[in-house]
Amino acid sequence: MNIIVLIKQVIDVELNLRIKDGALVEDGLNYVISSWDETAIEAALQLVETVGAGEVTLITIGPERASDALRKGLAMGADKAVHVLDSAFDGSDSFAYARGLAKLLETREYDLILAGKQAQDTDAGLTPSMLAEFLGLPQVTNIVKVDQAEEGKMVLHRKGDHGNEVIELTLPAVVSVNDSLNEPRLASLRGIMQAKKKPMETMDLAAIGGDASLVGESGRQTKIISLLEPEARQAGKKFEGSEEETSKQVIDLLLNEAKIFA
Amino acid sequence: MAKILVVAEVKGTEIKKPTLELLSHAKSLNIDTEAVLIGDGVSEQAGILAGYGARKVYLADDSSLGLYNTASSTALVLDAVKQSEASQVWLSASELGRDLTPRVAARLGVGALTDLTKLEVDGDEITAYRPSMSTKVIQKCGFAKEGIRVLCIRAGAFDAADAEPATADVVNLSLPEQDIRALVKEIVTESTGEVDLQEAEIVVSVGRGVKGPEGVDFVRPLAQVLGAAYGSSRAVCDAGWAPHTAQVGQTGKVVAPDVYFAIGISGAIQHLAGMSGSKLIIAINKDPDAPIFKVADYGIVGDLFKVVPILIEEFKKIKEA
Repeated sequence: MNIIVLIKQVIDVELNLRIKDGALVEDGLNYVISSWDETAIEAALQLVETVGAGEVTLITIGPERASDALRKGLAMGADKAVHVLDSAFDGSDSFAYARGLAKLLETREYDLILAGKQAQDTDAGLTPSMLAEFLGLPQVTNIVKVDQAEEGKMVLHRKGDHGNEVIELTLPAVVSVNDSLNEPRLASLRGIMQAKKKPMETMDLAAIGGDASLVGESGRQTKIISLLEPEARQAGKKFEGSEEETSKQVIDLLLNEAKIFA
Repeated sequence: MAKILVVAEVKGTEIKKPTLELLSHAKSLNIDTEAVLIGDGVSEQAGILAGYGARKVYLADDSSLGLYNTASSTALVLDAVKQSEASQVWLSASELGRDLTPRVAARLGVGALTDLTKLEVDGDEITAYRPSMSTKVIQKCGFAKEGIRVLCIRAGAFDAADAEPATADVVNLSLPEQDIRALVKEIVTESTGEVDLQEAEIVVSVGRGVKGPEGVDFVRPLAQVLGAAYGSSRAVCDAGWAPHTAQVGQTGKVVAPDVYFAIGISGAIQHLAGMSGSKLIIAINKDPDAPIFKVADYGIVGDLFKVVPILIEEFKKIKEA
């Protein structure tokens, strides 16, 4: 089974983020592979192991530093990587990224495209399904379990609103993963050494046959006007002491201050 | 002229509350609003949608549509968009809505804005607000080009109004003919028929502090006495103590109820991202430094196994009074 995994390098959201004049303060930012993408890589590696044949190709669109995210995935065990590197993509939204990825992928052969259910920076979760539409492929989003996998067919569990939806999927297809699917492996030292020798192809917009009017700022459909601090929740009242007392104090507040049963 | 098409969602044959919130808000904006209703045995619900402001309902009611599938719903919504000539499509940010939104938008050749918590609408000029980066940053965003506006809006962003008696003008959609390559065979319901997390006015959630499946059962009566939905942190779901459908958080369900009880939940950022929109938060945790206390309106530092029985007892008395 030949699998493409879509990777995005994102701002490390575990760190403190500061906003000034409607934008993030760049100073002190750190960039990491989006954690849902690690789940997707792990899923791809396990699928190839299960089926017993095939290879895992990582793809990203991003600046120079995004190659670090690809190297990390190669160190986990992926076979090769493609880095689409072109400033024409700057300012892309999900739609424009999906267009670019579709252009790259329309000439490639694969059984499955895997991606994280959303990227950790935008938290939008649009790109995989938009790509599926542009490629004319079926999609299954937010999977929590791979029940069966064989050439041409998979049975997946998708986390739906009212339970797990058991889905019979005919390949090729686009599948996005929930992080409950697996626990991504850590790269071994050997893996890290091997990753340096694995093939990484760098391509610009022209090399993928892309059109500058369809990507970046000219191709995007949506735009971010500015970034704002979330309205900070004020820490409220905290009670310590015997459970009998503190419970009654809080119930009193619920009734008389918050009036939740009014 | 702006016109909104609301994609209705059902649980079984009942319209879900977030759909009513979308209709109510559209009505309050005085924008012509219609709805598309897809399901099995849902025809009678068209009147409900009309009662909340849908002037026309595009209906697809068929035994093949009882379980959501992306391909059929995309084709049906597209058909409704075309017939209604809507300039905006509004969906709920449920698991269904998140799956359907990008597919519908891409087929319409436009972008989409998702997980919106606030919206400013001036005709088809949209300014929207959405949390990103684990809710550490709010994006103020909009559209960069002309075209149909596809918006996916979180439950609780708007209030549902009261219904007014109305009769729906129903248009039957014809079933799309297509080969379904991702076929939903069944739903493995882990949920227990309790109150739906995204519909609930009160949510009680438990975290690792309950120590095991027995602890999950120990706290459950609190949810029952409050008529609350019962949720949990990711750790509890991953440990198998609670079903994954109960997970509240960024990768689970994002909830914004009137009251949220966080019991034995430390408050990892992914969890906070899923519940910090709640109007009132009550936290119970042994650790006085647990991050959950930074967002809690009322916090009890103490042993949940002592606090919860007291709460159950007191709430019972209040309910019976």
